[in-house]
Amino acid sequence: MSNKIEITINGNPVSVQKDTYLIKAILDAGLAVPTLCHHKDLTPNGTCRLCMVEIEERGKKKLVTSCNYPVRSSISVETKSEKVVKHRKLLAEMYLGRWPNVKPVQDVARLCGVTDGSRFKSEITDENPESCILCGKCVRACSEFIQEKIIDFAGRGFKRHITMPFGQTDPHCIGCTSCAFVCPTGAIKIVDDLNNPVDPIMIRDHGMKVNAEMATLDKNQCRMREVGTANIVEVMDKYDLLPVMNYQYGSHKDTWKIDSKVLKERYFTQDEPDACWFGCSMACAKAIDNFELKTGPYKGQKVCIDGPEYETAGSASNMGCFDGDFLAEFNFYCDTYGVDTISVGTCMAFVMECYENGIIDKEYTGGLEVPFGATDATLEILHQMARGEGFGVEVGQGIKKLKEKWSKMRPDMADFMHDIGMEAKGLEYSEYVSKESLAQQGGYTMAIKGPQHDEAWLIFMDMVNNQIPSFEDKAEALYYFPLFRTWFGILGLCKIVWNDVVPADNKTKYKPQDAAKIPDHVYNYWKFYEGMTGIAVDEEKMLNMSARVHNLQKVMGLMFGKGGRKEDTPPYRAMGPVTKAEYESRAERYDKQLKEQVGFDPEGKTTEEKMNALRDFRYSQYNKLMDSAYKRRGWDENGIPTKERLKELGIDIPEVVAILDRYLEKKNG
Amino acid sequence: MSKITKSDLQKIAQNEMLKQTSYKGMIMVCTGTGCVATGGFDIRDIFNETIKKHGIEKDWIAIGTGCNGFCAVGPIAVIQPQGVFYQKIEPSDIEEIVKEHMIGGKVVERLLHKDPVTGAINEKMEEIPFFSKQQLIALRNKGLIDPENIDHYIARGGYTALKSVLELNDPERTIQEVIKSGIRGRGGGGFPAGVKWESGRKAAIARNEEIFIVCNADEGDPGAYMDRSIIETDPHSVIEGMLIGAFATGSKEGYIYLRKEYPLALTRFEVAIKQARDYGLLGDNILGTDFGFDITVHRGAGAFVCGESSALMASMAGLPGEPRAKYIRSVEYGYKDKPTVLNNVETWANIPPIIEKGADWFASIGTGDVKENPWNGSSGTKVFSLVGDIRNTGLVEVPMGITLREIIDEIGGGVPDGRKFKAVQTGGPSGGCIPGSLLDMQVDFDTLTKAGSMMGSGGMIVMNDKTCMVDVARYFIDFLVDESCGKCTPCREGLFAMKGILENICNGKGKEGDIERLEELSATVIDASLCGLGTSAPNPVLSTIQYFKDEYDEHIKDKKCRAGICKDLIVYSINEKCVGCTACAKACPEKCITGEVKGMHYIDKEKCIKCGICVETCKFDAVEVK
Repeated sequence: MSNKIEITINGNPVSVQKDTYLIKAILDAGLAVPTLCHHKDLTPNGTCRLCMVEIEERGKKKLVTSCNYPVRSSISVETKSEKVVKHRKLLAEMYLGRWPNVKPVQDVARLCGVTDGSRFKSEITDENPESCILCGKCVRACSEFIQEKIIDFAGRGFKRHITMPFGQTDPHCIGCTSCAFVCPTGAIKIVDDLNNPVDPIMIRDHGMKVNAEMATLDKNQCRMREVGTANIVEVMDKYDLLPVMNYQYGSHKDTWKIDSKVLKERYFTQDEPDACWFGCSMACAKAIDNFELKTGPYKGQKVCIDGPEYETAGSASNMGCFDGDFLAEFNFYCDTYGVDTISVGTCMAFVMECYENGIIDKEYTGGLEVPFGATDATLEILHQMARGEGFGVEVGQGIKKLKEKWSKMRPDMADFMHDIGMEAKGLEYSEYVSKESLAQQGGYTMAIKGPQHDEAWLIFMDMVNNQIPSFEDKAEALYYFPLFRTWFGILGLCKIVWNDVVPADNKTKYKPQDAAKIPDHVYNYWKFYEGMTGIAVDEEKMLNMSARVHNLQKVMGLMFGKGGRKEDTPPYRAMGPVTKAEYESRAERYDKQLKEQVGFDPEGKTTEEKMNALRDFRYSQYNKLMDSAYKRRGWDENGIPTKERLKELGIDIPEVVAILDRYLEKKNG
Repeated sequence: MSKITKSDLQKIAQNEMLKQTSYKGMIMVCTGTGCVATGGFDIRDIFNETIKKHGIEKDWIAIGTGCNGFCAVGPIAVIQPQGVFYQKIEPSDIEEIVKEHMIGGKVVERLLHKDPVTGAINEKMEEIPFFSKQQLIALRNKGLIDPENIDHYIARGGYTALKSVLELNDPERTIQEVIKSGIRGRGGGGFPAGVKWESGRKAAIARNEEIFIVCNADEGDPGAYMDRSIIETDPHSVIEGMLIGAFATGSKEGYIYLRKEYPLALTRFEVAIKQARDYGLLGDNILGTDFGFDITVHRGAGAFVCGESSALMASMAGLPGEPRAKYIRSVEYGYKDKPTVLNNVETWANIPPIIEKGADWFASIGTGDVKENPWNGSSGTKVFSLVGDIRNTGLVEVPMGITLREIIDEIGGGVPDGRKFKAVQTGGPSGGCIPGSLLDMQVDFDTLTKAGSMMGSGGMIVMNDKTCMVDVARYFIDFLVDESCGKCTPCREGLFAMKGILENICNGKGKEGDIERLEELSATVIDASLCGLGTSAPNPVLSTIQYFKDEYDEHIKDKKCRAGICKDLIVYSINEKCVGCTACAKACPEKCITGEVKGMHYIDKEKCIKCGICVETCKFDAVEVK
C-alpha cells in the first residue's frame, strides 16, 4: 500500500506522506502559515489556533489546526477561506489585545491583517514587550528535549502561566537553556554567564540540533535516555560480539538476564540527566536506588548504584555471571573500592578459565571454587582484593603479573595462558569480542594506554554497520578515529552525543566510510569549539591539534617501555579461536574464510590443522594492518614516531627527542 | 466468599430471593447523598432498632438503598414489595410507623405524599406522578437493592448479561448488538457506544496493543448528579457494563475516573469492586472462563475540564488535565497512548439490560429508527437531574422523545410559589436556555442541539420569571472562564472578553453593538476552540440572545432588568402596602430604611446596597424592585 496521499492546497495538487502534519505540506508548498505555538522540532499542541485551515473531506467541510492535523485521506485544503480569515483575524486581535507590544505577536497579527488589538484591551493586558504569550514551546522543549518537567503551566483559563514546581527554583533544572532558546519573546532569559563563551548563540544553535535529534530519534535508535549504554548488551549478543567466558564466545542463552530490558524493568530507578555534562539532553546515566547488598562490609544496607553500564554488564557475561543482582552488587563494590569493573571482570574471566583448565585449583585460591559463573566467589575475591588479603591480592595484580607467575608454575600451559590472557601493555581488554573484527583488534591493541576503546571503537562500524569494509578503510579508520577521539579528551567533551544518536539522513547523505564519522555531528563539535573560543576549526586543524597530543602520548608510552610492535600485538584470543571448541562454535565462518581468503581447502582437514592455518592468516593480516596504520600515522615499522613527524607537528623539542633516542638506544642494543 | 461459576449465579439469586421473601416487607430507606444529608443512615438504623425493640425483626428489615430520585421530599422510605411511600421522615416518626404500619397493618397517612397541586394523597409510589411517567433502565434497581450487597444485585438478575456474553463467546456479535441498540453516549457527546467499541477493538488488533476500558464518572456540571446517583444506587450495573465492554473489545484493564467530591460513590464502588473480586467476577478466570479483567478507581482532583475524555486520560496518566486535539481519537491513542474505550457511567449502566433484553427492545424505546444507523435517532432512556425553580426537585429517568413539558410540568410538578416558567437550561453550563414556547419539543440528542442547547450529561435547570437571562448567561460564562484550562486562545481569551461584555451589560454599561460583538466572539470560540468545552461554551449566550433578545435590549438601551436581578439596573422602593411594621428597617444591614411605627417607610436609595433582605423580610409585599 502506498503511503503517499494526494491532496489539494488552494486548488493545487500536492502529494504528501501519510500522517504528515498538514502544516508541513502547506509550508512545503511555499505558503505562509501564521502561528505562535508551532516549532519544527517539537510535538505540535495546537494552542494558538492561528494555523487553522478549512478542509473538505468526503464533501464535509471543517476547520482544523494544520500544525497537528495528520493527513490520512485525500482532502482539499483552503488556507484562506472566508471563515479561516475571519477567525484568524479575531484570534490575532485577541493576542494583540493582551500582549500589544510583543514583536512576534505583532508580526503574526500583521500577517493576519490586524494591527490594532484595542478592542481586546482589558485588565489582563500586558504592555511588556517580552511577555510570555503562553505558546508552551518551553514546556515542550523541557519535556521532549530533556525529558524533564522543570517548567510547566499552572493556573486555569486566563490565570494560566509558566512556572517551576510550587513557584520555586527547581534544582533538577540542568541549565540546558532549551527553554530560553525556543522562547519566541524573550520572556525566559539566561542569567548565568555560561563560562563566557565568545558566541553563545552558535553553541546553542548546534546544541539544539542535538536536542531535537534526542527528542525525535533516540527512541528508535539507541534508547540512551531510556536505558543508557545498557542497550548494547542485547545488540552485541545478537551480533555474536558479547564477550562470554573470557571472550571464547559472542553470545549466550542467558544474556536476557542482564540485558537492558531486565535492567530497566527490575533495577533502574533513576533516569534523569546526570550532571556529568552541563545541559546534556541525552541523560544516559542510569542508577539503581535502594539496592540491598548481600555481601561485604555494607551487607544488609540499601545503597544507590551508579550504573550498570554496558561494559559492566559485559564484564559479567565475560565471567559467565548472568545474574542481575550480582551485576548490581559487583558494580557497587568495584565503584566503592575504586577498582575498574572492566579490569576486574576481564581478569576474573582469565582466572576462571585457568581454574577450569586445572592451572589453579581450590587449594591455590584458598578454598574458593572459581569456575565460570562463580558469582559469590568473585565478590569474595573482590572483597579480599580491597582488604589486601588472600587470593584477592594476587588477582588484584592483573593478568600480566598472573601470566608471568603461573607460567613459571605451569610451563606446559604458558603458551595457552599467553593466548587467553586478555591484556596488552599490562591493561585488561574491555568488553567486546574483537576476534572477527580486524579493525577493532587494531583499535584495541594499538591504543597507546592499552586495549580500551576510547581511541577507536570500530567494532560497530566494522561488524554491525559494515562501513569500513576494505583494508585501506580500516587503516584509515585507525588513523582518523584515534585522533578524533583524542580531541574529545583534549577538550573535555563527551563522545556519547557524537555517535549514540545519529542524524536521520546520515546513512543516505554520506558514503559509508564518511557516514562512520557522522560528519554533521563532528561539525557540531567544531561549532562548539568555535563558539567557546572564537577560533574556527576544520578537519585538518582538528587532527593536527590531536596528533600533537597523540604522538606525545606515544612517546611517553615508549618512555615507560610500552608501545613497540610487540606491545601493539594482541593475545591470540583477541584475534581468533584458541581452543577447538571455539573454532567449532564458528566453524562455518572460519572454514569459509580459509577457503575464500587463505586459499586453504578445509575439506577433510582436522580442526587443529584448520586452526593453525587460520592463526597464521590472522597474524599476517594483523601485521599488514599494523604496517599500514603505522605508515598512515607517520610512524616507522616498529610503531615509533619518526623525528620528521615530530618536527612536522612542532613537538620535536629536545626533551621529547631525548626520550625517543633513549628508547631506540635501549632497544637496539 | 469463594469464586463462583456461571451456574452459581442462579443459586445465589434464589437464596437471596428466599431470604427476602421471608420478610413481610422491607423498609427501603434512601441513603443516596441527598437523603444522607438529611439523616438517611440514622433513619435506617433507628428503623432497625425499633423493629428489634418490638421483636419483629424476623418479619421486617430496614435496608439502605441508593438515591430514590425524589430528593425534594427526603428522607424517604419505601415499604416493599407493597410500594408504600413515606416522605420527609423524622426520627421521631419511626416509632409510629413501626407500631401502626408494621405491627398494626395501617398506613401512616400523614407521612404519605400529598400532591401539592391537586391535594390528592398517594399511598403507593407508582401513583405519584413524579414516578408514574418514568421508565427505568439505567436506574432499574433504584430503591430495590442494597448497593453494598452484591447478592441483592444478583437476585435482580445481575451479572446474567455478562454470563450470556461469555457463553456466546463472540465479541463481534456482542458489539453488533450494542450498535443495533442505537445507544449513544450518555456523557453528552452522543457518540454511538457500539461504534466506539468496534473502533477500539479494531485499533487494538491492528496495533497489537492492549486496550483500556474507562468509565467517566467525573460529573462536573453544576446541579447535575445523575452519575453519582447511579453509582450510589447500583454500582454493580456499571461494573457489569464495563465487564461486557471489556470482553467485547478485548480489554483486561479498566479504570473508573471518579469525581473527587463523591465520597459516598467512592465507598460504594470500592465495596462493589471488592465483592465482585471475591466472587471472581473481577480478576482472572471470570465465572470460570479464561476471560480476565479488573478495575481501578482513579479519583479526579476537581477540574471541570477533566470530564473531557482526552483531558481525563491525561489526568489519569499523571499529566496536567488538559485536552488534546482529537484528530486521532482516543479509541486509537488514548490512555498512555494505547487504544481506550471511554463511556460515561450511565452508558455503562445501560449495557446489561441491552444484552439481557436485546437490542430490538432498547431500540424500540425513544426516537427514530436506529437499528440500521445509530445516528438516526436517540434510543432508550435518559436520566435527568431536575433542579432549580421546580416543585419536584430530583432525579428522573424518562424515555427519549418525551417532551420538556411532560418532564417539567407532569413529573416535575411545575414551577412553585406561584411564579411563572421562563426557561429551562439543559446540558450543563455550556448548554443553552430553552424558552417556554419550545416546551413541547422532544427531548433527544438532535432536537436539543437544533434548538441551540444540548443533551449534555442530563442536567436540567428550570428558571422562573425572577431569573434574568442576561445574568444567567453571565453566570455560566463566568463559570466557564474559571474552568477553561487556558490551553487554547479562543477559549482562554475569547470567553474572558465575552465575560467582560456580559458584565458590562449587567452593570448598566452595555452599549450598542455588544450583542453583535458577543455573536462575533461566539462564532470564533465555537469554530476555533480545541475541545468540547470551548466549542460549546457560547451556547448559553447564543441561546439567550436567540430567545430572550428583548432582555438584552432592555439592559443595554433602557438600563433595566425586568427580573430585578442586576443590581446596577434596579431600584428598591416601598409602596403603599407598607403597614409600618418596622421589620425591614430592623433587618436592613445598611440601616437605610427609615419610617415611623405604623407609618410608611422609605429606602435611602443612595445608601441601599440592593441586598434584598428587606424584600424577604416584608410580609406585605410592600418592597418593590424596579
